[in-house]
Amino acid sequence: MASSTIALARPAHAPSTTLIAWSGLALAGGLLLPWFRAGRELAVFVPGATGLELLGSERTVAAALACALLCGILGGLRLPLYRRGQMALTTAALGCVLVVLALARSGQPMGPAPVVLFLGFLSLVGAGLSLGGYLRADAFIAASIVWVAVFVVIFILYPLWAVLQASVFVKGRLTLEMFGVVFRSPNFLMVGNPLTPMDEMRVASTLGAVVAVIAGLTAAVVARRLRAVVVWAVGAGVAGVLVAALYLGFGAVRNSVLLAMIVGGFSTGLGFLFALLAERSQLPTRRLLGPVSILPIITPPFVLGLAMVYLFGRQGFVTHSVLGLSTTAFSGLLGLSIAQILAYTPIAFLLLQGVVRAMDVALEEASETLGASNWYTLRTVIWPLARPGIANAFLLTVIESLADFGNPVVIGGGKPYLATEVFYAIVGRYNPNEAAVFGVVLLCMTLTIFLIQRYWVGERFYVTVTGRPTHATPRRLPPALDYAVTGVFLVWVLLIVLLYGSIFVGSVTNLWGFDYTFTLKHLKGLSPTGWHVFRTTASLSLIAAIPSTLLGFLIGYLVTRYSFPGRRALEFSSMLSFAVPGTVMGIGYILAFNQGTLLLTGTELIIIMAFVFRNMPVAIRSGVAAIHQIDRSLEECSTMLRAGSATTLRRVVAPLVQAALLSGLVFAFVRAMTAISQVIFLVTPRVNLSTALILAYVEHGSMGRAAALSSVLVVFMAVVIMAMYWSVTRLDARAGRGAQAKP
Amino acid sequence: MAVPATQLKQVLHEEASPVRFERVTKRFGPVLAVDDVTLEVPAGNLVTLLGPSGCGKTTALRMIAGLEWPTEGRVYIGNEDVTPLPAANRSVTMVFQAYALFPHLTVFENIAYGLRVMRRPQAEIRQRVSEAMSLVGLPGLEQRAPAQLSGGQQQRVALARALVMQPKVLLFDEPLSNLDAKLRKRVRADIRMLQQDLGITSIYVTHDQSEALAISDIVVVMNQGHIEQVGTPTDLYRRPASRFVADFIGEANLLPAVVEDGAVQVGGHRFPYQQPGVALGAATLMVRPESVRIAVGGEGLPGRVQTAFFMGTYADYLIETEAGEVSVADSQSVDRLYAVGASVRLQFSPSAVYLLPPG
Repeated sequence: MASSTIALARPAHAPSTTLIAWSGLALAGGLLLPWFRAGRELAVFVPGATGLELLGSERTVAAALACALLCGILGGLRLPLYRRGQMALTTAALGCVLVVLALARSGQPMGPAPVVLFLGFLSLVGAGLSLGGYLRADAFIAASIVWVAVFVVIFILYPLWAVLQASVFVKGRLTLEMFGVVFRSPNFLMVGNPLTPMDEMRVASTLGAVVAVIAGLTAAVVARRLRAVVVWAVGAGVAGVLVAALYLGFGAVRNSVLLAMIVGGFSTGLGFLFALLAERSQLPTRRLLGPVSILPIITPPFVLGLAMVYLFGRQGFVTHSVLGLSTTAFSGLLGLSIAQILAYTPIAFLLLQGVVRAMDVALEEASETLGASNWYTLRTVIWPLARPGIANAFLLTVIESLADFGNPVVIGGGKPYLATEVFYAIVGRYNPNEAAVFGVVLLCMTLTIFLIQRYWVGERFYVTVTGRPTHATPRRLPPALDYAVTGVFLVWVLLIVLLYGSIFVGSVTNLWGFDYTFTLKHLKGLSPTGWHVFRTTASLSLIAAIPSTLLGFLIGYLVTRYSFPGRRALEFSSMLSFAVPGTVMGIGYILAFNQGTLLLTGTELIIIMAFVFRNMPVAIRSGVAAIHQIDRSLEECSTMLRAGSATTLRRVVAPLVQAALLSGLVFAFVRAMTAISQVIFLVTPRVNLSTALILAYVEHGSMGRAAALSSVLVVFMAVVIMAMYWSVTRLDARAGRGAQAKP
Repeated sequence: MAVPATQLKQVLHEEASPVRFERVTKRFGPVLAVDDVTLEVPAGNLVTLLGPSGCGKTTALRMIAGLEWPTEGRVYIGNEDVTPLPAANRSVTMVFQAYALFPHLTVFENIAYGLRVMRRPQAEIRQRVSEAMSLVGLPGLEQRAPAQLSGGQQQRVALARALVMQPKVLLFDEPLSNLDAKLRKRVRADIRMLQQDLGITSIYVTHDQSEALAISDIVVVMNQGHIEQVGTPTDLYRRPASRFVADFIGEANLLPAVVEDGAVQVGGHRFPYQQPGVALGAATLMVRPESVRIAVGGEGLPGRVQTAFFMGTYADYLIETEAGEVSVADSQSVDRLYAVGASVRLQFSPSAVYLLPPG
């Protein structure tokens, strides 16, 4: 056996294939592909715009291409490692700047050449960072970090920045005028309505004062301390005024906040009860929880709103046909709350199920052996342990409710909500600045809640502290509670069945509310537009799901396994999408990508990008979770056996997370299929999406056709999800044989 | 078909290289993990890094592997400064604590992994894997999944996977901690025999002092990031350089003593003893429990039996004396224990005690 195999893989100053390959690719792309596009069309070859043709006239283009060439030459020279790294880094960074300059100077929509060239330079920057010893990672990882950082900046931070900018720059002037206009508008928030005989402000303050006095007196009797009296009186007084103002007020802020509070409270409460049911019930009905909790994931959120109209609207089946009423009571806050509670309870349920499951049963057994009753244990052990998880679920459902766009549009009863005002300000009133102001207000609210959730509540999970839960038999609920909660759950299931049923029935009913005869005309009416849009949606969602998942897993891998400057910032900004309402991101994309060299609106690409970066955080989460399952020494071992990080990712990490990757892919696909709030801004008659089309049908009064397309969507999603669960189970079973190797 | 492993053996023997640490320091933020360590590992030796958790032994090992990088100082393998080299370029392999067998690959593919990464031809891979498997004694298990193997077999797969790369240095990161006590003894004997047979430079990390004593040529005792003592197992046991080493390696009684000319006095008991290089005056007398003789009368340090336990092969006593509590493991009285409260005399044989600085 030749002992030469033991020698170092490469001498330190041999030619660097990484540098040569990337600069070759960058150079080829920059020379042969067109630098500019003529209009919105992406795949049109513009003559006279290739790098070769621009070389003579555009000096910045020539300089950028020279940088690429220089990087290739550096790769071929016999240089010490560090020196080469430094020089490649400098040259490639200069190249990036030159590409940006060249694009900025022309102001025309960019073509594929600068994209290839720029990405090539980014890879070279990464390789330079790695070779130069600035990052303790190989070129692949370093380049990945650079790529990901740039993508996050362009497609997440830059659009948000564009929203902020539009809110304070009106016609090129820095001003807070727009904020003033919006804040004074009755559409935004109004407590004292001049048109009502009642003086709402006075009622609110009177109520606040009464509550304050009562709370103060109670505190004086119970606590007998001046400080307690003051705290309680002031706190209760302010709360009283706020509640009264919310109840009596008008405007988008009032509506959104009131709705979010109601929905957050009910969803979390129901979610916790259902979580107890799922983990602790003795009744067979608990098995229904799994499938039922998937429903909202596969349904565009507003489909429940649509179903609410069918059942409880003016011509609703229950309200009109059964009860003989003609009421609009359910159109507005009441119906909207119900639709959102139905949609978001499963989210709270899934979060809280984890909390209840992770609770150490030994603690409850300890409580019981100390003589506590079931109720006492529930009150003194389970509840305090679950409290942070409950706060967490509450805050997240509040964010979801605030950000929801579809339901308020469908059954908001024409009242303003923050998420919809963002949309109507642009689409109805053609005022991007006003939309931006509404967006900023909404963003501030959700972001505050997100930060509270992440840094205050998020760190108070007791459950994770205990570490290893004992494998005792789960405790059962007190029977009275078990039956009561099961009763509530069954009502909930009945409602869900009715709502989904009405959508399915509605899609084959002649004219809901008037003529309940069977017809296939709505389903047939989907041809050709409906089917075409459905196919477009499916293909765009699929195209977006792949990079979304891969990027998410890559970021998850980078942030869990490597430390590099800006790691926390990267993690935080990529998670931002959780907190940024879709409508805000939507106007961000409109404002950021509607002109200049980054012109993308009206193309499929912008919708794909919106999907990719909207769904990436979910993939990051599941990526992080999946990678935490892998013993780190597996990767270290692979490294020591001479594998580079790309090889390690491909040969060790990817096979071990394949089940998680597959489900991540499917969820990214499904979320894209059902997304509405962000893409509603980005669709055009040419590039339309199912959800937007359903909303359009609703607006034009074609309820039957809306129901038909919704049914198709829901059934399709259900099939996809079931296929996914089936294959994930098989993958897990196959991996399970090997997975026990990790002791 | 098992292939004789002579070729691999020879290559491994030829490749064995010394390892050198030159003033290596490693900081994790404010934490000083390894503090100015200089160390020489001779080629072909098995050197153990021993110490309590957090003493820096694993960090030191990982710096040889290239999985961590020194904040200051240089690391040499053979005559080459490998400090800037990534793990992949160091010709070093490692047996990981939990073996780190790739659960999705068969035994054969696990061992072949590194060769596949290096894109060796299929025939060579088959040949070399087969050699490595016969070297560690794993015949006929090529197509098994790691999960289907016993702990000892998994251990051997990990070893074969490391050896097949023909490393200059082989690293072990607490390789026995996942085995039960009985198996541990056997596997550690296997590792030692194989290592001696191959003459490969091995660096072994453990917190188990009996393991370290059993298998090492040289033991490096580490504490809080620095080296307390380097020596052969006998050296460390008989002649510890510090209270820490005396206490960490085996059990030790550390008694305040006074050194006189040609004798040592401990708790009023005086016995002839000489140790070169020890100054007269206060000192600490180290004596192992099994080296204390216990008697009812005669010469010796007087004491009273506080506790007495039957331990099977010996009797375990705690004796209260003027010099403090003394732990004694006595095999003479195992059939008839001294009663608690009994007055006894303790005698120290000069060949089994050692003087340390006072402390």
